[in-house]
Order: sequence, then C-alpha cells, then structure tokens
Amino acid sequence: MVSRIRSVILLVSFALAGSLDATARADDDAAFFESKIRPLLVRRCYECHSSESKELGGKLRLDHRRGILDGGESGPAIVAGDSEGSLLVQALRYDGVKMPPDAPLPEGEIANVVHWIKSGAFDPRTDTPPPVGSQNDAQPLWSLQPIVDVPSPEVKDPAWPADPIDRFVLARLEAAELKPAADADARTLIRRLYDDLVGLPPSFDEVERFAAEFPRDETALARLVDPLLASPRFGERWGRRWLDVARYGESNGNDGLGRNPTFPHAWRYRDYIIDAVARDVPYDRFVTEQIAGDLLPFETPEERDRQIVATGFLAVGSKPAKAMNDEFDMDVVADQIDVVSRGILGISVACARCHDHKFDPVPTRDYYALAGIFASTETLWGLSGHEGLSAPSTDLHVLTTAPKVPPPAGFVETAILLESNTGLPKTIPPPNWEPGTPLAMGLRDRASPADCKLCIDGMSTKPGGAVPRGFLSAPRLPKSESFSVPGNQSGRLQLARWMTSEDHPLTARVAANRVWMHLFGEGIVRTPDDFGVYGDSPSHPELLDHLATRLMREGWSIKRLVRTIVLSRTYRLSGEADPRLLEADAENRLFGRRTLRRLDAESLRDAMLAVSGCLDLRADGGSVIRHRDILVNLAEDLHQTTDRRSVYLCYLRSSPPPELAAFDLPSFVTTTSRRDVSTIPGQALYLLNNPFVQKQASRMAELTLACETSDQSRVRYAFLRALGREPAKSEGEEALRLVAESLAASLSEGEAWALLCQGLLISNEFRYVD
Amino acid sequence: MNHSRRTLLRSATTGFSCLALQALLGEPRALASPEGLVAKAPPLAARAKRAIFLCMSGGPAQLDTFDYKPQTGSKPHPGSVFRFDRHGESGVQISELLPETAKHADRLCVINGMHADTEIHAQSFLQLHTGDRLRERPSLGSWVVYGLGTENQNLPGFISLNTSKSSIYSSSFLPSIYSGTPIGVNGEDMTAATIADVRDDRLSIGAKRRQLDFVQRLNNGHLLNDGHLARRNDERLDGAIRTMELGFRMQLEAPGLLDLGGETQETLERYRVGQKKEPIGTCQWSDFGRQCLLARRFVEAGVRFVEVNHGSWDQHKNHRRDLKANCDATDAPVGALLHDLHERGLLEETLLIWGGEFGRPGLTPEDGKDESGHAASAFTFWLAGGGVKGGHVHGKTDATGAVAVEGKVHFRDLHATILHLMGLPANELTYRYAGRDHRITGPEGGNVVTEIFA
Repeated sequence: MVSRIRSVILLVSFALAGSLDATARADDDAAFFESKIRPLLVRRCYECHSSESKELGGKLRLDHRRGILDGGESGPAIVAGDSEGSLLVQALRYDGVKMPPDAPLPEGEIANVVHWIKSGAFDPRTDTPPPVGSQNDAQPLWSLQPIVDVPSPEVKDPAWPADPIDRFVLARLEAAELKPAADADARTLIRRLYDDLVGLPPSFDEVERFAAEFPRDETALARLVDPLLASPRFGERWGRRWLDVARYGESNGNDGLGRNPTFPHAWRYRDYIIDAVARDVPYDRFVTEQIAGDLLPFETPEERDRQIVATGFLAVGSKPAKAMNDEFDMDVVADQIDVVSRGILGISVACARCHDHKFDPVPTRDYYALAGIFASTETLWGLSGHEGLSAPSTDLHVLTTAPKVPPPAGFVETAILLESNTGLPKTIPPPNWEPGTPLAMGLRDRASPADCKLCIDGMSTKPGGAVPRGFLSAPRLPKSESFSVPGNQSGRLQLARWMTSEDHPLTARVAANRVWMHLFGEGIVRTPDDFGVYGDSPSHPELLDHLATRLMREGWSIKRLVRTIVLSRTYRLSGEADPRLLEADAENRLFGRRTLRRLDAESLRDAMLAVSGCLDLRADGGSVIRHRDILVNLAEDLHQTTDRRSVYLCYLRSSPPPELAAFDLPSFVTTTSRRDVSTIPGQALYLLNNPFVQKQASRMAELTLACETSDQSRVRYAFLRALGREPAKSEGEEALRLVAESLAASLSEGEAWALLCQGLLISNEFRYVD
Repeated sequence: MNHSRRTLLRSATTGFSCLALQALLGEPRALASPEGLVAKAPPLAARAKRAIFLCMSGGPAQLDTFDYKPQTGSKPHPGSVFRFDRHGESGVQISELLPETAKHADRLCVINGMHADTEIHAQSFLQLHTGDRLRERPSLGSWVVYGLGTENQNLPGFISLNTSKSSIYSSSFLPSIYSGTPIGVNGEDMTAATIADVRDDRLSIGAKRRQLDFVQRLNNGHLLNDGHLARRNDERLDGAIRTMELGFRMQLEAPGLLDLGGETQETLERYRVGQKKEPIGTCQWSDFGRQCLLARRFVEAGVRFVEVNHGSWDQHKNHRRDLKANCDATDAPVGALLHDLHERGLLEETLLIWGGEFGRPGLTPEDGKDESGHAASAFTFWLAGGGVKGGHVHGKTDATGAVAVEGKVHFRDLHATILHLMGLPANELTYRYAGRDHRITGPEGGNVVTEIFA
C-alpha cells in the first residue's frame, strides 16, 4: 500500500522539463520567503504588527499579505518591485521612521527584504487577516477544531448497517453510487480477527468450529471476539503497536560515533505496556502514567513501581553522543518533545526548535514552552555502557516490589571497554546498586524547575528570552486552573492533563484513528502521526469524530472501541468486490471492501512458531541483556534464539532481532505508528534461507511425519496446519511431486517434507491476510 | 511507472496476470527487475555511470593530508605538521602519510574549500549523506538509484559497507527499493560481513528451485483466486512473486561477488585484505581493504552506488599517532582501488568521492601540543574519475587553513555536483512527500561546481 500511495504521488520531474523554469522560479521565491522573509517578519516585527500584538503599532499588520500591501496609518508598507519606494525599507534603514525601534536590523537582513521586494514580494500567506488574538498565520486546520458528535447519517439501505459506524461508511458509498462488497466468509473472518487482535493464526479446529457456527448464528462472532480481547495475547499484539509509537529500544542505537550503549532495564517499560494494554488502562490514564507517572499519587508500593516504570516512555529515547556536543541536553529534550507531540497529539513541533513552523501553527515560543517542562525534568537512562563520551551516566529508579534477580552464578562481563590511549581495560566504577537490584529507567522532577530560554536557530549558544513553561498555543482549550504550571513543578502532570482533556481536539482523534488503522490497514487519516497541514485530511471526518467521541464517552477504553469496530459490518467485508468498486475506489478510501494485509515481522515469526507447534507463550523472561551495561558494538551477537513471542525479543537499536529485521521494522529512533510495507529481495532471502524459517519447517515436518502415515494424509495435514484449509487437487499433486522429486534427488524424508513445509510457510497465502 | 502496470493488470480481461504468468513460465529477465530499479537514461549527459563514496567518518585532518599549510612569516601559527611533497606531473601537494594515494595524484581532483554548517558529528554526518542535519531523509545513494535505476537486476542498486545507523543509508520517504543494502555495521568484523541469508549450503540450488516452483504455483493460484479481481489488482502480491525470483537470483550472484577466493594473492595484498591490527587510538581497523575490493567488484557487476566506510578520524588527543594509523589503514586500499579501476578502464565512468563530515583545525608545529578539534568552516574532499579534472586543486583556504576563502563548496553543492556528473539535475530531482517536493539540495538548492569538470 505504501508503494501504491507513493507511486500515486510520485512526481517524475524530468517529464516536466518544459515548465521547469517557471516552477523553479516560483519554488525559489517560496523558498526565499520561507527561509529569509517569514522568519524575519515573525522575529522582528510580529510583536507589534500581528494578530498577537497587545497594541497594534500604527494600525499596521504584517502577518498576512493584504496587511503588508495595504499597510497602516502611513500607507502601504511595500510596493512590490520597488524597494526604494517601499516604506518598510525606509523604516528598516532608519530613514525617517525607525523600525524596529530598539536597534536597526543587520545589513544582511535589510538586504534580504530589499531583494524580496525587488523580485516581486512573493507572499504565499492569506489575504484575510488572522483574527486578532489568534495564532500567527493560522489556517483553519481541521484537526484543531473541536470534536463534534454528529448523529449518524441516513442511508438508503437501512438493513445493512450493524452499528452507527456502518451508516457513516455506507452513506459515503451511496453518495458515490457504490455498493459495499459482500461479507467475508467465516474462514476468512476468523483468520482476520486472530491476526488483528492477537497476532496469531487460529488453529484448524478453531476455524472449523467457527465456520460451522457463524453462518447459523451471528452471535458466534461476539463469542469469538470477547475471549480474544480478554487474552494476554491481545496485550502483546496491541502493546507492540504502542511500543512503535514509543520508539522503544533496548539500547541507545548508534550515537553517531559508532557507540551503542545497552539499556538493560528498558524491558520493564515493555512489560508495563503489555500489561497496561491487556488490562485496558483507560487511554487518558495510560498517557498520563507515561508522562507523569512518578508524580501521580499511589495507594500501594506496587502501584508506585508501576507508575514509575511507565515514565520509561520518555527515558528510552535514542541520544546523539555527548562528546563535543554542547546541544546534548537539548537533544534529549527534542526527542521527548517529538515523541509526545507526534506520538500522542499527531502534530510535529520539531521544526520549531529553530524557526517558527512554516505551515503548522507552532511558533518557536511553543517549542520552548514545552522544552522548559522537559528541561525541568531529570531523565534517568542509566550508565550508558560506562561510556561517558556517549552519554553521562545517571541515576535510575529503584523498584521496591519487583524481585531481585542477580546475574547467574559465574557471570563475567566479556564486552569490556578499552582505554583509547593505552589500549588497556578501563576501570569501571563499582555499581551504585547491589547486583540484581530491580531498576527502572524513567523521569523525576528537578529540584528547581525553570523556564527555558528560547534558542535562536536552535543553538544554545544564542539564547533569547525565557519562555514560561506551557503547552502549544493552538489548540486553545477553555481555560482551566489545572493546566497552569506551578513554579515548583516541571509541568509534566499539567501537560498530561491538558493533552487528555476531553476538550482537546487531537488526543482522542489520533488514538481513534490508529485503532481504525490497525483494524483496516489504513486510517481515516492516512498520516496517523501527522494531523498537521502537511498531513492527510480525513476521508470520513464525521466518522472520526464519532469514534473519538465514543472512545472518550466509554471511559477512554481502547478495547471497547476495538470491539465496537470488529463487530461492525464494515469490518466484516470481503476483499472481493465487483470491478466497479475496485475501479472507482482503487485506494479503498471509502472502506467499501477489505484490503489485503501482509503479516508484519512479529506476526510472521509468531505464526511460523505457532504452526511448527513450538510457540512458547511464557512472558516472564525479562531481557537477555538485563545484566549487561555494555556497548553493543563491542559485544558479540547479543541475540539468542528463543521460541517465545516476538515482542519479547531483544529490540536493540542498530542491531534489531535478526529473525524480524527483514520485514520493515522501524528504526525505533523516532515515533511511528504506521510501518512501511516494502517488498524487497532481502525478504525473499530471509524466507528462502534463514535458519529460523528452516527450523520451523523442519519442526513442522517432524509433526507431519509423526501424526500421519500416508503421503496423501501428510500433505493434507501440512495444508491444514499452515493454511487452515484442504489442498486443492492440483496443489496436493504438486506437493507430492515436490516430495517425490526431492527424495529422488537423495534428500532424506525429513528434508523432503521440510522443503514442502517451508514452501507453505513462505507462500503468499500464509504471509498475507484477507 | 507502477501506474501503467496496474492499469495493464486491471484491463487484463483474460482473468490472468501477465506477470504472474511469466513467473510460472520462468521468464527470468522480465521478472527479476522490481520496477523502478531498471536502468534509466539520465536526463543530462552523464560523465559518471556509477559512484564509490569512500566515507571517512570523524573529520579527517585536511591540513595533514591534502591542504598544505607551511609556516609563513616569523610567528609560528597553526598549519601542517607532517611533511608534504608535490606529486605527479600536476604537482599536487599530498602529505607523507598517504604515499599510495599520492601515486595517483594526477587522477585526483582535490577540493580544499569545503565547508559545512555544524561541528556536531552526528548532524554533519547526516547532512553529508542526506542534505539534512536533523531529520531522516533519503541518502545520496538512494537519490542516485531513484534517478538512474541500476544496471544489474540481480543486485541492489545501492550498497553500503561498514555502515552506521540506518538513517545514513535509508531511502526515507523514497520507495524502499531505493534503500541501501547494508553489509556490515560499524564495529562488526568486516572480514566476515555479508548480505543476510544470501546463501544456504544445506540444499542444492536444484532442490531450492523445485521448492520455489511449488511456492510460485501456490502463489499464482492465490493471486488468481477463482477469477476474483481484487488480489490481481494488488501489486504487493505481484511484487512478492517477483522479488522471490530476484532473491533467488541474488543467491546465485551475490555470494560469488562477496567471495574473494578468486582474487590473486597479489591483489589481496595490494588491498591489504584481511590485514587486522589492534585499534590505535581512534583508528578502528575495519578491513578497509576488503571493503575497497568488494566495492570494485560491485561496481564491475553493475551496482550503481557503493559506499565504504572507515573511522574514526576524530583525533582529539593523539593527533599524530592516530592520524598516521588512519592513513595507514586506508592508504594502500584506496591506492589499489584507483589502480584497478584505471587498469580496467572503469575509472572514466566511475566517480570516486573521498571525505568526511568536516575537518580539523591545524596544529602549530613544535609547540608541544598534539591535540585537535573540529573544523566545519574549511576542509577537504577529493573526487577522482567520472569526468572530473585529474591533478587539479579547487578552492583555497586562508594561511592557517581555518576558513575557506576561494571556491567554497557546501555539502549541497557537492551533492549537486555529484548528481550532475551522473546525469541528474540535482535541483530538479524531486520527490513529492508530505505536501511538497523534496530534493537533496534542500530549499536553498546546490550549485554545480562546473570548474572541476574535465
């Protein structure tokens, strides 16, 4: 799907060579305005000449195009093409009027304004002035408007909808004179539900049972769904999805200088997430615990520990090396701002570190208002592999209720740092904690919280004025005391309250859209981490608001929202549809049919283990690096083979689990809720040659040979096990032929059957779900 | 391009996917090219068909390698602390630390006026590769393959050896077929680094072919799905069928390329393949010789863009010792690569690029200090082959080498120049993402340094 969208928006510029000159010039003008003029106006003039100004100077507004052309009391500020005749230039040169009043601008900046006016004063801003008191340049961005609970629309076919959701979908289809696809059959539906809810394939018996019941009794669907939602496997499946958003990793990743310190305690955050998702902690609470769990009241020591571990969310980020990097502390803050803003609010704030956001309504002041909150917070990441050049070591939280697990007897660390000058082993300072002490990464407030100074161009060597700690200026929520940051606190708790306020237009929409995306393959907004101006617009805005409203109304329960959606008619649709629907809505933006989905890296591995009969569902393994504070790049291969679920593998950054790496794992360096789905030859090599795949095939072959005696029944058994269906006659013959030819080529019986089983495991039918 | 194929599939009235049918009939040529990788004619006349980027991470000390700064006047000042000599007919100044490279002085185009925006390693390293110092953006190699495709459909178009984090070789928002294929990651033993799962010695290729035939028949049945349309319109299934074939074929070609057993002992020695030493200060031995020899083999086999890496040139404390170690580790392999490409007639169409994320300020001779820092306002790159002037020095720095004063070249200019040499107009090679057209040269655009063109 990714490639399809990309191909649609692909712009092969060579074909446009004829029109390039004009376009290039327009691009240059736009680039010049954005890089030189807009920042200058914002920084130098807006204080007195914009919608934000307390008192508008000379009735002149410079924050929209008409304002600058029409001018104020003294007449037009500029005459396009005539820099010498432009009042603005005269004022900047202190020729008569003197602007800005404090001190003249540097010559270079004035020269930029002159150049801009001379070349036509290109100005992409709107003609209409932003309302007084509003954010600079704010376009009415849909995602910042309040969530509206619209009644579900009337439809022509009232028999079709099973839930109000379906009415929103059907109304759009009917408006386009299209009909939704037929319902999927029971076998397709159960496989879909298993993958979507628990990330595992159903057993053949379960398929048979559901296929027998469902056509007679539709309530069989809810009876199938509820145990899946209640299963710990749901926490693992949906927890893993949040871990992508949390850019969770068990090591720092390459710090830019090739060093990659482990995070030996990060797995506690992983286990917290899996548990919280399985217990369906309300989403507002879930977010609050991760941002400010250390500041929340608790009733038991277990609760305290749990909430502290939750703040690992903001401590497991990837950091650039500390060595020679004066911006290190602000780099840590930048990662925290990014994961909170894009990960939870679906809006990017990162650009505002250096300049006012060019399109999204995020001025630099907002960035530093947030930065003050995180700069007032101590981030506890631990010892950084004892390599201070990568990151200075920090304290860690000590847990009081988790068991003490000392390293195994005789454990000796082998990945030892060497002194760069002498080549001798470095002396590692004695640990602050007894070996095996349960520790957690996380946050705590600094002793004296303070506002952050605005850094011009993002450089801390160029400080501007301090910005009071606070949140984004857009959206504006009704004022509430609970949002103001007391002087003696960092402001994280208030930030969490602000984000999870029911008036907040982004948090619930972003969460609901992601739930929808995980169940349909694409969101209602197809850029799930960007609800800003550059992001996609919702295909069904009212449906999105309906889902967001239901999410909040039902106590922010993600499980209830999932349940509602999977019981809808829309979720049940078949992938097959008549050519008219396929043609008219090739992208399936109307959700009139099912889109095929590839198993992701974890589901593919887990499915292979399930089919080989060897999946180990235990969840108490901690991490293979739990006793190892080392640099991954100095260690041998740290990954160990295991039959446990993929979510429990060791997600080292820059060294991902080899059994998953081929299938579009994100880098875990920045937040993402939507993984790429690439189709590249490395995946074929993995399927053909990876020892893990071959091992599962051998195990499955052993089972097949042990359970059945005749070749025909063995083929049947292998198909049932892998694909949940009988082989077609021709398929059965092909399979027998493959085995016979392999035996004739002197493969052993086990090898010949393993070859067949592997063929089933790597087939598209196994790897793609309808 | 994907468009037209989809239209083709959708309009196929026979109820049968042509491409899938070809898969069944075993027509490998048509199959093995994931679209977008097919070689395309460049819009401009190309001087170079392929490129090898010799990436020297950490900030190589330009004043003790290529930018000679002798003492002038009576007062000691920062400059070169190693001896320089003129080399070749052109008389290019090269330091005593690089005797093998110096033998090819008449092939080098030294750019002494490089400058960059920041002295923070990670940011500048990212900018060197992608044009952006803060965000993940497509790497130079990905842009090249996006623009040109690649010549050998059995191999990836962009390979990065001894690479670091994925953002360095990522295709980012470009389709992932343009992504670099990593072989070995920093710190890994490059002597053994390979493409994951590229070979399987358990089974004969015949057995594997029979297995794949079975799989492709299953896949085709799945694709046809009793005559329903939706799956046949899904290019991912079709793509999966085709990449299974490409992967299968990579098994045949890539292991042979990765296996240096067929090279003569003389060649292996010239490249210093397998030469392993303990790290000296910042210098990490990364079997740079094997990297360079693999790079030659890959470009010979038609890979479009190869990056090799050596680090770290970040000598803060023991400048003289560590710089010498880094030069020792890289000099002979680079010389051997230049030699081989020239001997084989490949250098004319292969662009070599040497340099790192920034440079270093000079030391003052005999003042007893042996420490240096970072310098982004002046440093050196060199190019060779691929249509650039040989034995040429472009740009100039001031008397102490602290600031570029003439012929200044920013990374975006370097990117523009490299792409231009390969036939791609850099400022017009764009991709629409997140609502606007992106290019590697960023909003400012890059200037092509035509002065260095042969």
